[in-house]
This record gives sequence, structure tokens and C-alpha cells, in this order.
Amino acid sequence: MTDQTPILQMRGINKSFGGLRALIDVDLDLMPAEVLAIVGDNGAGKSTLIKVLTGVHTADSGEIRIAGRPVSIRSRRESMDAGIAAVYQNLGLVDTLPAPQNVFLGIEPIRRILGIPFLDNAAMRARTVEILRNRVGVSLPDLDAPTRSFSGGQRQAVAIARAVAGTDLKVLVMDEPTAALGPEETRNTLNLVRAVRARGTAVILISHNLHHVFAVADRVQVMRGGRRAGVVSTRTATRKDVLGLIVGADVDEDAHV
Amino acid sequence: MSEGGQAMTEMTAGAAPPRDRNAGRMRQLSWWERYINIIGPLVMIIALSVGMAVSQPRFFAFDNLMIILQDAAIYMVLGMAMTIVITGKGIDLSIGAVAVLAALVMAILIKDHGWGPYPAMGVALVIGLACGTLNGLVITQFRVPDLLATLAMDQIYRGIGLVLAAGLVLARFPEPIPFLGRGRIADLIPTAAIVGLIALAAGFVLYRYTWLGRYAIAIGGNREAAQLTGINIDRQKVYHYALMGFCAAIAGILLTGRLNAIQATAGMGFALHTIAAVVVGGTALFGGRGTMFGTLVGVLLLAMVTNALVMLRFQFFWQLVASGVIIIASIGFYAWVQRRQGTGGRGDD
Ligand SMILES: Nc1ncnc2c1ncn2[C@@H]1O[C@H](COP(=O)(O)OP(=O)(O)OP(=O)(O)O)[C@@H](O)[C@H]1O
Ligand SMILES: [Mg+2]
Repeated sequence: MTDQTPILQMRGINKSFGGLRALIDVDLDLMPAEVLAIVGDNGAGKSTLIKVLTGVHTADSGEIRIAGRPVSIRSRRESMDAGIAAVYQNLGLVDTLPAPQNVFLGIEPIRRILGIPFLDNAAMRARTVEILRNRVGVSLPDLDAPTRSFSGGQRQAVAIARAVAGTDLKVLVMDEPTAALGPEETRNTLNLVRAVRARGTAVILISHNLHHVFAVADRVQVMRGGRRAGVVSTRTATRKDVLGLIVGADVDEDAHV
Repeated sequence: MSEGGQAMTEMTAGAAPPRDRNAGRMRQLSWWERYINIIGPLVMIIALSVGMAVSQPRFFAFDNLMIILQDAAIYMVLGMAMTIVITGKGIDLSIGAVAVLAALVMAILIKDHGWGPYPAMGVALVIGLACGTLNGLVITQFRVPDLLATLAMDQIYRGIGLVLAAGLVLARFPEPIPFLGRGRIADLIPTAAIVGLIALAAGFVLYRYTWLGRYAIAIGGNREAAQLTGINIDRQKVYHYALMGFCAAIAGILLTGRLNAIQATAGMGFALHTIAAVVVGGTALFGGRGTMFGTLVGVLLLAMVTNALVMLRFQFFWQLVASGVIIIASIGFYAWVQRRQGTGGRGDD
């Protein structure tokens, strides 16, 4: 596995918000069809790192390669075109739209009438039913109701359905996808992560729950104070090792910070 | 699909059939609950009709109904675009000045420069489009809030109109301008109302079946989500205001034809009246939700009230009082509906 080209490489990423250095020389390697978990304390820079990857923020410096090829990601569009889909911490649903229109927001199927492109709402609905049933495994009470009336888990399901709906998905990024979920939905979501990987898509999963991390991830990247504190394999490392990296128990490392 | 997807399907299906868990949890809404958003103004229309049937049967004379349609026509055109602008969390206070500026240029080209009506109307539409686009650019590029930007632009357009035609009343235009403004198709239906209904029908398609409407809902409903989806918010907003300016120019042409005259101080109440009709029709004032059908209902309600008050010989200021009361009653009603459905404060924005 290690001699393969990573599907995604981030090198020397720096990002500051005003005077705050949110990311300092961060590297990240993601192998094809692996689940990489990113863990770290609140404010460690996890969300910022994936927002750089998904084009929400532009890095101050650094390089991103997809399958060995350098790409420029300066907008959401460019990130999506590079095959990166994301489920965000705050979900990012439009609550006044029903689920199918949320799932296909920005990637609407089109039907041409006299050459004029019209949104194909019926196709969106049919494909959403299929995605929710076969890939996400969460049922919704009413597909035509605005998502504002849904529970946290149901909204999460819609957000996930949206991330996997895009064609040519290379990397799926999930920022705390299980944070708002009940036990059943959490299990479904973790299953979904496995299923996505089984289809050959690499996954980046941000989570505070080391139990979930060890259940689905192949490797864990630990962030601390805006830097990469370490990367370990879940096969060889223990939860205690990871916890140690998160809080920075190593005295030598503390001296640097 | 590979074995992973297969296994996954089986797992979830085995654990708990996803399709059934929520089955039977949705109570079938009665028909009036489904359409509750438009029911408020519809009820007001019915109440008004009953009242007028008792006190002034003349209200329902075919000719008077056509006059109501005629009065409503301009606001149908304006309301169509305003529904999209407001859905996208915008507002346009400059539409009266844009309509009049476009109409004045058209009038001057025809009266002073001997232009034919069609090229002059074309120029009016281009001016409307340009003014609207400029509004959109000021809002998105200079980051001026929509309300203030269009208020300031209203002054600018109004000022230019006054410079062009201060004190002048330009009158008597060649066909088809009067025919559009006050003519009747087959001597029955006001042409302007047909134009208005076509505009609303086009708006319905734009709102439901094109990127323009869908992205307006996304921007007004959750701006951050729209951005994360890769929607170019600035560009979409420019489109909204450009459409609004274009429709304002159409309204300006209709207004000119209606009176067969135009002057720089016309169209003063366009913006507020249009916004009132759109909001009465159930479009959320702070964006994310709206309907074209509701806008039609709102426009008709306001036109009927004005007509009824004139017929009952109320003085003009009572019309102002009445539309104010209707606006407050409608918005209060929507707030009540939202509280009742328990979705009031959740989620939006
Ligand atoms: N848009 C922003 N503007 C200014 N500062 C920001 C912005 N986004 C993040 N930050 C700051 O950057 C740092 C890293 O934030 P980030 O959201 O990446 O943390 P995180 O690791 O995702 O934390 P959490 O576990 O709480 O989600 C924090 O100190 C945060 O306050
Ligand atoms: Mg975060």
C-alpha cells in the first residue's frame, strides 16, 4: 500500500486568519481507498485544513496534488471539479428546500426543452430516493417537505447524500459527520464510510470520537496547535497513543510550541 | 455497484428496513393546511368580494373587473422579478425611478428625435437592464447593503430623469404603446394584463425550473450553504437585479401607454406597492421562500382593495391606510402559521 501514489497530497500548507496562524506547514497524505481520520483538540485546525482542500479558504502557501498531479484549488467549484466532495460540520443545507433539491444543489440534472436547460426536479427526486435507500440507509418522513422540519440525523443524511451524489468522486471529506446523530444513524454513517471506501473512494474523516475513528479509519493524523503532530496506523497504535499526541504529552514537543 | 455497496444495503436492510421506520408518521395534511401560505390573502379576497357583492354589486361588472386587472398589470410584471429579488435576500427600492427613466428616454427618442416606437422600446428595455445590472454590481462589488444601495440608486435615476425631462409632460405616442398600456385584446381583455400574466407565468418557470430561481432560494435560505455548493452568489445577485431592471422597463412602457403620457415624477409608489404585494403573497421578506402564484394573489388583492375604496368613494388616504392594514395583517398571519407549525425560528439563515 505504501508504494502507491497517494490520491491526495497536501504539502507545506499555511493559513493565517489575521494574526492567528491556523495552519503551520501542514502535510497530508491520503492513499487510494483508505479512510484517514483527522483528530485534535478544538481549534487545532482540522476544519481549516479541509476547508483549504475544499476551496472554502485559499491557503497562504503550500501545494495540493491529486493523483500526483498538482492542482490549483481556489474555489469550491475547482475543488468539486477535482473530484472532492464534502460534508461540513454545520451541514450546509438550505432549510427552505426539500431534500432532493438540497442533494442536487449545484449539480442539478438538466432536461432540455427546445435547447433551453430546465431543472429536472422529477429526476432529482427519483435519484434521491435511490441514494438514500441504497447508499445512506436513512429514511425520511417526507421528501417534499423543506428540510427545516427534519431532525438532526435526517438532515445529516441529506447532507451525506449530497456529498455522495456527485459523479467522479475521488475524495470524500466529512467534518464530524456523527456529531448530531443517534446510535442508529451513527452506525449507518460509519457503514456508509466503509461502503464509500469499498467502492474505491478515499475518505477523510474528522471526528472527536476515537471509538469511531478506530472503528473505520486506516490511519489517523493528529493535529495540534495548527501543526501536524503525527500520523499513526490504527493497526499498530492504540487509542492511548493517539490521545497522547492530541494533548502533546511529549515534553520535548511542548518546548517547540 | 461493488460488494461494499451491496453489503451495506443488506446491513441496513437487515437491521431495520429504512423505508418503514417512518412510515405512517406523516399525518396527511388537509388541503387547506397545504396551501395555508396563500390562504390568508385568498380569504381576504373572498371577504372583500362578499362585502362588495352586498354593498356595491357594480364591483363585479365585467368592465370593473377588467379595470382591476388593468390596474394590477404593472404590478404583476414588477412583482414577478421582485419575488426573485426578495427570495435571494435582496430588495429593490429603485424600480419606480428605473421604470420612469427607461420610459422617458423612450418618449424623448420618439417625440424629439423621430424614432419609431419599436427601436425606442428596445432602448428602454436596454436601459432597464443596464440600470438593474448596475444596481447588482454596486451591491456585490462595493458591498453596499441592498436596501441602501437601491435607495441611493433610486435618487440617482430619478435625478437623471428630472435632468432629461424636468417639468415636461411627454404625451401622445404611436401604437403599439397605447395598445400595450390601455388597449384591449378583442375589445375585452386589457393587453397589459396579458403582458403581466405572461410575465408571471415566465416567472413561475424561472422560479421552479431554472438555476435562477433555485439558486435564489439557496442564497436567501442559507447563504453559507449556497457558497459551499459552489454557487457564485455575486453573479446570481447581479442576474436578479438585471431581471428586476428589465421588468421595471416593461412596467415603464406599460405606464406610458396607460396614460399615453409620461413625466419625470411618475411611478413614485412602485417599489413599496410591489414589495407589499409580494410579501402579502407569502414570499418571506428575508428570503429563501416565495411563490409566483402568491405574488399574483397579492397583486390582485391590493388592486381590488384600491378599486373597492374608490368605488365606495373613500378618499385617497384611506387607500393608504387599507394597504397598510393588509400588509400588517398578512405578515402577522404568516408569523402565526409559522409558530403553529413550530418551524418559526429554526434553520433559516
Ligand atoms: N474564518 C475564520 N476566521 C478567523 N479565524 C478562524 C476562522 N476559521 C477558523 N479560525 C480559527 O482557526 C483556528 C482553527 O479552527 P478550526 O475550525 O480549523 O478548528 P477545528 O480543529 O476544526 O476545531 P473543532 O474541533 O472545534 O471543530 C481556531 O483558533 C479558529 O478560531
Ligand atoms: Mg472543526
